[in-house]
Amino acid sequence: MDPQPEPVSYLCGDCGVENTIKSGDVIRCRDCGYRILYKKRTRRIVQYEAR
Amino acid sequence: MVIKKPGHRSSLDDANFDALRDLLKPHIESFDHMIDAGLKTMFIGIKPLEVPHPTQPTTLKISMDNPKIFEPQKERGFSKSRNILYPFECRQAKISYTGTFTAELCFQYDNGPIVREKFNFGQFPIMLQSKLCNLRGASPKKLVSYKEEASEVGGYFILNGLERVMRLLIMPKRNYPMSTVRSSFSERREGYTDKAVVIRCVRADQTSVSIKLYYLRNGSARLGFWILGREYMLPVGIVLKALIDTTDREIYVNLTSCYNEKYEKGKGAVGTQLVGERAKIILDEVRDLSLFTRLQCLQYIGEHFQPILQGLKNESHHIVADAVLRDYILVHLDNNFDKFNLLIFMLQKLFSLIDQTSVPDNPDSLQNQEVLLPGHLITLYLKEKLEEWLQKGKRLLLDEIEKKGATFEFGRIADVKKVLEKNHTKGISTAIENMLKTGRLVTTTGLDLHQRAGYTVQAERINFLRFISHFRAVHRGSSFAGLRTTTVRKLLPESWGFLCPVHTPDGEPCGLLNHMTRTCRVTSFYDSEGNIKDYFKIKLSILNILVEIGMTQSLPKIFLPGPPEVLTVLLDGCIVGFIPSTEVEKVVAHIRELKVSSAAVIPNDMEVGYVPLSMGGAYPGLYLFTSPSRFVRPVRNLSIPSTNENVELIGPFEQVFMEIRCPDGGDGGRKSPFPATHEEIHPTGMLSVVGNLTPWSDHNQSPRNMYQCQMAKQTMGFSSQTIQHRADQKLYHLQTPQTPIVRTRAYSEYSIDEYPSGTNAIVAVLAYTGYDMEDAMILNKSSVERGMFHGQIYQTETIDLTEKGGKSDQSARVFRKSKLDKPCPSIDSDGLPHVGQMIWPDEPYCSTYNEVTNKTYLFKKKGSEPVYVDYVAVDTKTKKNLNKVNIRFRHPRNPVIGDKFSSRHGQKGVCSQLWPDIDMPFSGTTGMRPDLIINPHAFPSRMTIAMLLESVAAKGGSLHGKFKDATPFRSSVKKDDEESGSKSASLVDELGVMLKEKGFNYHGCEVLYSGVYGTELTCEIFIGPVYYQRLRHMVSDKYQVRSTGTIDQVTRQPIKGRKRGGGIRFGEMERDSLLAHGAAYLLHDRLHTCSDYHIADVCSICGSMLTTTFQQPRKRPVREIGGLPPARAPRKVTCHACQSSKGMEKVAMPYIFRYLAAELAAMNIKMTLKLTDGVDI
Repeated sequence: MDPQPEPVSYLCGDCGVENTIKSGDVIRCRDCGYRILYKKRTRRIVQYEAR
Repeated sequence: MVIKKPGHRSSLDDANFDALRDLLKPHIESFDHMIDAGLKTMFIGIKPLEVPHPTQPTTLKISMDNPKIFEPQKERGFSKSRNILYPFECRQAKISYTGTFTAELCFQYDNGPIVREKFNFGQFPIMLQSKLCNLRGASPKKLVSYKEEASEVGGYFILNGLERVMRLLIMPKRNYPMSTVRSSFSERREGYTDKAVVIRCVRADQTSVSIKLYYLRNGSARLGFWILGREYMLPVGIVLKALIDTTDREIYVNLTSCYNEKYEKGKGAVGTQLVGERAKIILDEVRDLSLFTRLQCLQYIGEHFQPILQGLKNESHHIVADAVLRDYILVHLDNNFDKFNLLIFMLQKLFSLIDQTSVPDNPDSLQNQEVLLPGHLITLYLKEKLEEWLQKGKRLLLDEIEKKGATFEFGRIADVKKVLEKNHTKGISTAIENMLKTGRLVTTTGLDLHQRAGYTVQAERINFLRFISHFRAVHRGSSFAGLRTTTVRKLLPESWGFLCPVHTPDGEPCGLLNHMTRTCRVTSFYDSEGNIKDYFKIKLSILNILVEIGMTQSLPKIFLPGPPEVLTVLLDGCIVGFIPSTEVEKVVAHIRELKVSSAAVIPNDMEVGYVPLSMGGAYPGLYLFTSPSRFVRPVRNLSIPSTNENVELIGPFEQVFMEIRCPDGGDGGRKSPFPATHEEIHPTGMLSVVGNLTPWSDHNQSPRNMYQCQMAKQTMGFSSQTIQHRADQKLYHLQTPQTPIVRTRAYSEYSIDEYPSGTNAIVAVLAYTGYDMEDAMILNKSSVERGMFHGQIYQTETIDLTEKGGKSDQSARVFRKSKLDKPCPSIDSDGLPHVGQMIWPDEPYCSTYNEVTNKTYLFKKKGSEPVYVDYVAVDTKTKKNLNKVNIRFRHPRNPVIGDKFSSRHGQKGVCSQLWPDIDMPFSGTTGMRPDLIINPHAFPSRMTIAMLLESVAAKGGSLHGKFKDATPFRSSVKKDDEESGSKSASLVDELGVMLKEKGFNYHGCEVLYSGVYGTELTCEIFIGPVYYQRLRHMVSDKYQVRSTGTIDQVTRQPIKGRKRGGGIRFGEMERDSLLAHGAAYLLHDRLHTCSDYHIADVCSICGSMLTTTFQQPRKRPVREIGGLPPARAPRKVTCHACQSSKGMEKVAMPYIFRYLAAELAAMNIKMTLKLTDGVDI
């Protein structure tokens, strides 16, 4: 049994509200119904080349 | 011109982008006119379609009316409140910015009532910032809230998320008969000469028909015009007689009126004795065909053209002939009498060309050219598409009647409508969209245009100057690109002030792709208040004024005398009368005065082309033009007192015959008999926007300024202020741009500070370390590490799962991470990458899952450098799933060795070292180290003095905390700014004093110490800040290296192409040079070892290498049974031809040699190798 894919957060391209969308959900902002969503920046540690 | 203080802008709404917006007016105004009136005019021009019922006596007449295009809207209303579609969404979602196009079809049975039905013609592309654009009229602040640039100028279309601009194209001047000499004319038919008078007639709906009046060797003339891809030539006499009721005498007198014995060979005489002879020949020709009356001529024309013209099969000859005269001959005129007069005029001009009393007009000169505007091209393309649609609709209707018989009710409009709607109504807008997407016209008639492709280009936003240049570019036409002669590319004096002499690319499109000057405009249908001009009213008032001041109006039965007595007056290609040549100068001056005054009805952009009498010069006359799409530019009219408004718009046609003074110090070499009547406003008006940005370009050698125009457009700059909202395929971005200390007035006028594109680098001109030879330059490593020239490339990948791929089951794909395969850390649980994370080459960044085939597909990052995920935008096409993604990657591109930089003076160079700061030379007084070192040899031969001036000026400017104005031609302009009016006029003196005041060397030199030895350098070094641009050519995009790798399957040689890891061809000439050097080992390594090294088995008995085969030992070796480790299987090679394995030899050779043997064998040629050990050759 696979674990359910954890939900991923997106920001609305129009109003900026955070939307949490699981796979199979409708791609739309909850608040304004805008279609284009942006993925939030990852919370993983990102290390840059320090040169 | 107002100089805005830089950095003085308090808020966004104070920003004034009017000067910038004016640059794009030709594009936007032409599209606006199409929406406002152009479509309506075009609909009137579409002939009503008549569909006769095959059996019943009813005829259905269908005409079009009431075109309407709506603002762009979203397809479905997700929310009730906001359905407006904004351009930003189109770019992001890769869709087109379109509005619905509807029109009414008017149905009329016989003479019954007209019934109107609305039809939807699909989604029509809308130009940004046009009247239908949702951004129109928005303030800079508002534009920012729409996620656009504050200075968004529009003028382009968005199609599938890509921005495309329509190219401005040079066209022959409309409605002006041009004398032409072309050798191809004489090849038309037997008896034709190479001379003709050509006129491109343009109707009110912008469709055009060109006709040619050929001269025949026997003295007669033929009128040639094109119908459906074929040229038809009619004897001109027949046309003359068919146009109006006239007599032979009238035609004779009209033709010979331009000849008067009194003036023969005098100044301005165009007619000669021969004209009478030719008139007789023309009339004889008609008589020989036994055509005497107008009706007979019409019958003759009708009879010949009935089979050619569509839809007139059953009409009388008379009507067919009328249609020919109306639709093909001098179509810009509605009146047959006007056509007759113009034809006479054209004949006179033709005869004068033959008799060499006038010279041919140059079709390559801007004097005889105008421009094709986006709105006009779309209108005429749309007209053809609609006409085709109507014709097809007729066929469909007739088919339906035939098929269904009585069940189809022809009389019911609902049924007819149903049939017509099946006729792919939405395809009309799709055709326009495709034309804009591909730049290709799909046409049967040719539309009187000379090229099929290349009408649109993508509006690249490498930097702002590149972007804005797309709108100012004027192309000569792609048909000229293939021409071997260079005449079309030459820079002609006629284009002075209209086309920039500096801003044209060098190389292939040189001289064909020009740019309009800063001041050049294009006339439109709108007057200065923004109202559509009423050409009928304008014509009437111009006629009234002309008659008032002494013009004799042309009326039937009045013969037009010719020059030099009088001058013919043509208004937009229509002969309106004649003026005594003694009066003309006065009349012209008066018209010009009226033109400038705002109260008069004469439009301020009217062209008063007064061609004076001359000895065998241009054909004289007074040619007035009010038409749109002509070039115009402002100059000052000196005859009007300067207290009033005295700026007059002049065109290239009239400019040739005008006396315009330019403040160049020498008054343009003008002599006193010809006093200047006009004056240039500012000498920089002759340069384009980009050309204007070069500081002190008048101190540079001209080709260097051309190089700078090229390089300014390749600079990595601050390309967009809305970078986070854009999804361009590739976007260059400079991290730390600066505003130049030394700048021209155009820089602030066009708000280039919104998009800066360079850095003020401290440049030392010195030969240091040898790493600055041959245009290489040394960058200070620490400066670079502090952020100088840092930049990045943004690259967007769009993955659309609904798009039909090559494979069959593509529809059931979703973004999902694979559950079975080994975990992939770079992909998030939604199948997309983590934002902000680094991705290495060949690392997967995205995974899709096919629900039908249960297969996972990983998208892997191509390229050779690690990239960062900048943003991930998700979108959907269907309501259900996420199926459209834009993933933007950021390539860090900080300067490395091999990157290209340039100053603003065509001085480009490549970074050769990032030199440590501690080893850089330093100034003895200030301790400053240069950011950049260039070699002094860059200056003597290139003579870019302005770069030296810039260095000194920027040094002085930064010491004083001032920006320095570097507008060119300052010394020529009147000394009105007293700042420069100090004792010495020399620029160097002025700049030197600035340095001296702060205790620096007058000439900009400083004592430098070697960074390595700490000793004083033997001479003083010229050092100062110069604005440097980083060009987009970077080694990271270009380096190509391999030893061995992928090979071609057939030849086993390395493949080509950087993208695929291929090699660079080491060709014959390279081989020759190595041979000459005797570098045999290197040659062997390059052409053999690293290429198609191959060991072949050759049979030394028969000498063949194709008959040898390698046989696998069938039985297991005995040793394995015995438990011994298997020995290496002995390769057993046998020759099939000799049936033996004796005499087998191994020979190293290029694989291509074996391939050659195989190819030869296919042609029945045997290749035999004679093997020796090289001892007894």
